[in-house]
Amino acid sequence: MRKLTLVAAAFATSTLTGALPAIADGHLKVVDEPLELTVHFHWRRSKGYIEDWPVEKAACDWTGVCLKDATVGKNASTSSEAMNLLIASGSLPDIVGGERVRQPINEYGPQGAFIPLNDLIDEHAPNIKAWFNEHPGLMEAISSWDGNMYYIPYLPDGKYARAWFIRQDWLDKLGLEQPNNIEELEQVLIAFRDQDPNGNGQKDEIPYFNRNWEETLRPINFWDARTSGSDTYHDFMVVDGRLQHPYATENFREGLKNLARWYAEGLIDPEIYTRGSSARDYLLSENLGGFTHDWFASTSGYNISLKDTVEGFNFIPFLPPESISGQRFQEHRRIPIKPDGWAISHTNQDPIATIKYFDFWFTEEGALLANFGIEGDHYEMIDGEPVYTDKILGSGRAVNSQMYEIGAQAFRGYPQDYRYEWQWTRESARKGIELYDTEDLLLDQFLGVAFKQEEQEVYDKYWPNLQTYMLERIQAWVLGNGDIEADWDEYVAQLENRGLNDVLGVMQAAYDRQYGG
Amino acid sequence: MSDEHTASIPKTEKSNVEVRHDRRNERLTWLIDHFKREWQIYVMLAPAIIWFLLFLYKPMYGLQIAFKDYSIFRGIDGSPWVGWEHFGTLFGSDQFVRAVWNTIKISALNLLFGFPAPIILALMFNEILNATFKKTAQTIVYLPHFISSVIIAGIVITAFSPSAGIVNTIIGWFGFEPIYFLTKPEWFRPIFIGTGIWQEAGFGSIVFLAAIAGVNPSLYESAVVDGANRWQMMWKITIPSIMPTILIMLIIRIGNIMEVSFELIILLYQPATYATADVVNTFIYRQGIQGGQYDIAAAAGLFNAVVAFVLVMTANSISKRFSRTSLW
Repeated sequence: MRKLTLVAAAFATSTLTGALPAIADGHLKVVDEPLELTVHFHWRRSKGYIEDWPVEKAACDWTGVCLKDATVGKNASTSSEAMNLLIASGSLPDIVGGERVRQPINEYGPQGAFIPLNDLIDEHAPNIKAWFNEHPGLMEAISSWDGNMYYIPYLPDGKYARAWFIRQDWLDKLGLEQPNNIEELEQVLIAFRDQDPNGNGQKDEIPYFNRNWEETLRPINFWDARTSGSDTYHDFMVVDGRLQHPYATENFREGLKNLARWYAEGLIDPEIYTRGSSARDYLLSENLGGFTHDWFASTSGYNISLKDTVEGFNFIPFLPPESISGQRFQEHRRIPIKPDGWAISHTNQDPIATIKYFDFWFTEEGALLANFGIEGDHYEMIDGEPVYTDKILGSGRAVNSQMYEIGAQAFRGYPQDYRYEWQWTRESARKGIELYDTEDLLLDQFLGVAFKQEEQEVYDKYWPNLQTYMLERIQAWVLGNGDIEADWDEYVAQLENRGLNDVLGVMQAAYDRQYGG
Repeated sequence: MSDEHTASIPKTEKSNVEVRHDRRNERLTWLIDHFKREWQIYVMLAPAIIWFLLFLYKPMYGLQIAFKDYSIFRGIDGSPWVGWEHFGTLFGSDQFVRAVWNTIKISALNLLFGFPAPIILALMFNEILNATFKKTAQTIVYLPHFISSVIIAGIVITAFSPSAGIVNTIIGWFGFEPIYFLTKPEWFRPIFIGTGIWQEAGFGSIVFLAAIAGVNPSLYESAVVDGANRWQMMWKITIPSIMPTILIMLIIRIGNIMEVSFELIILLYQPATYATADVVNTFIYRQGIQGGQYDIAAAAGLFNAVVAFVLVMTANSISKRFSRTSLW
C-alpha cells in the first residue's frame, strides 16, 4: 500500500493542474470499439450490478467496457443460492461475480464453465500480476485443484478486526491495572464479579460476555489453544505444514477445561448461548458487561452512544494478555483474500478485453475509483491522500453504505484501500489499532484449500457430522455436563470413528498440492 | 351402480363382448352428458388441479436425485446413478438415526398433549354463556397463531431466561436455583410442545367449535327434558356428535407427524440440546442446505415422506375399520 500511496500522490499532483488529464487522454481504454459485457453479480448490498452507479459509468467511460446486469436470482436470500440457480440454468453471462463465488467457480472452472486466468494475467494484466507478486502465497490460495486461477478476488486491506475490550472505568474504580497476563486477567474478572464495579449494590455484573456464542471459546487463546485457523469459526489450522483441527489438540483440552471452570465460577455470561446478537447492546447499556472480544470500530462506538446514559463509560481495546506460556497473540484478523470477486465464463467472446478490464481496477485510477468513488464529487486529493468530501463524511450516514450506493466498495475483484475505512474510524478505535500495531500479534491464517471432486465427497461425507459432534460436546463441557479430562480420550476416539482422519487426509493432500507441500 | 345392475342380469341374450361394448358406450354418453351439464364445476376445479400438477407432481421428477450423485452443473439428467448409497450414508450416521427418533418422540408427545388441547378448549368455550367474555377469550387464544415463529422464539427465550425470565422468577419465589432451560436437553421437548400448544390450540379449536355448532339442538332439548346435566350432555351428545371431525383431524395430524415445525426448532435449539431437539428436518437443513449436499437432503426428505405416507394410510384404514370415518 505504501507504493500505491506514492503513485497516488504523483497522480494527485497531475490532477490538480487540469481537468482529469490522466483520464482524458484515454490511456485507460482497454478496447478500441466500445464493448458490452453481461455480468451476474449477486451480493447483499444491491440487487445485481447497477448500470447507473456513478462508479460504473466512470469505468465504462474510461475503459470502453460497459457492464450489462444479467444477475440471476436477484431475490435469492443468499448469493450461493443465486449462483446455484445460475449454474442450473445452464447459460452463463460473460462475467460471473459477486459474493461467495470462490467455491463454485473453483468447482466448475475445471469442468469447463470458467476460463483459467493464469496465462491471461501473465500477458495482459500487468497490474494484477504486480499485485500478486507483492503478496506471495495468495495466488496459490485462490487457485483451484488443477493449479489454475479462475477468479479475481476482492482483496480486503487492513489487519485487525476484533480486539479485546475492557471497561477501563471499572478498572480505575477498583484500583486495578489493565491485565497483562492470564493470571491478572482472571483476578480482574473475579474483581468485576465480586466488587460491584457498577455500584448498584447488586452482584449483577457479567465479566466476559459476547454477542456471538461462538466467541465463548475465544478466551481459550489464553491457554495457547486455538478456536479457528482463519476468520471463519471452527476452521482447520496449519501447524508446521500439517493440517490439524484446533478442537482435537491437547491445548484445546487444557483451554476448555479452564473455560468450563470460568463458566462455573460465573466469570462468563451464564446466558451466553441464548443472549443473541443484542447481548452487547443490552449488557453495555445496562452497565453490566465488563470484558468482551469484538470488532474495533463498532465496539468503540459505544463510548459515544452511551456517554450520557452510563456515567464515566469507557470501554477500550487493550493488548491481548499474555497466555499461560507467555505468548501474546491476536487470533482473529482480516482475511487477505475474500471468496468474493469475479470470473470470466466460457461463453465470453473476448477474454483478453475482459482481463484487461479486470486489470483496470488494479491501476491507481481504477483502485481509487473502486475505493472512493468519483474524484471531486465523493473525494478530493489532499496532499496526495484521497479524502472524502463533506458530502460523504458529513451526511451522518455510515460511509460504507454510501459507497455501496454509488458502486464503490462493491465486491468486484479489486484491491481495497484501508485509507477508506481509517477516515471514518473513531478516535478510540484508531488508538486501539495503533496500540495493536506496536506488537507483532497476528498469526498466519489458513486460507483454505480447493478440493478435487473425490476429495470434496470425503469432506462432505464426514465434516458436517463431525462439526455437529464437536460443538455438541464442547457446549456440554462448558455448561458443566461431563468432565473434559475424563471424557477426552473417548472424545478423540469418537472423532476418529467419525472420520476426522479421513477429512484431514484429503485436506492435507489438497494443501500440499496447492501450496507446494 | 346402475350399470353393474344391468350387467348382472343373468338371462341376457347378448354375448359377453357385446355387453362390454354396450357398457362402454353407455359410459361414454353418460360422461359427455355429464360434462355438458357440469362443466362449470370442472372449470372451477381446474386451477387447483393445475396447482397440484405444477407444484406437487412435477417436482417429484426431481426426487430421483436421492438416488444420484447430483451436481447442479451436470443437472438432474446428467448426474450418475448411485443407487441406495445416500440412504446407506444416512442410516450409517448416528446423528440421522437420532434425528429420526427425536422426530417420532416429539411428534408422539405432541399428538398426546397437543391434539386434545383444542378439543378441550372448544368444549370449554361451548360451555361459556356470557357472549362478551366468550368472544374476548377466543380472540386472546387465537392471537398467538398469527405471530411469526421468530417472535415466538424471542418470547420463549426471554420467558425462560435464567436472569430475567418469568419462569425462573417464579421458581425463585419457591427458593430454587434458576435453571438455564434452553441448554438442557431434558427440557427441550416440554418447552417446544408447550409453546406449540400455546400458539396453536386456540386457532385449532375453531374447527371443533364449528362442528359443535352443527350438532342438532333438539338433542340437547330432549336431554334437558330427560333431566341430563351439562356434564352428561357433553359426554353423551357433544363428543359423540363431533367424533367424525375429531377422527378426520387425527388422521390428517398423523400424516404430518414427521413434519415438526422445524423453523421454531432452529430458532430454539443449540448444539447443547441437539440430543433431543435435532429432528429430521433440521438435520436436512444443516446437512443439505448449509452443506450443499442436495442429494443426501433429498434422500432424507424422501424417507420422511414415505414414513408419513405409511402412517396416514395405516391411520386411515384403522379409522375406517373401527368407526366408518375416513379420508377416502
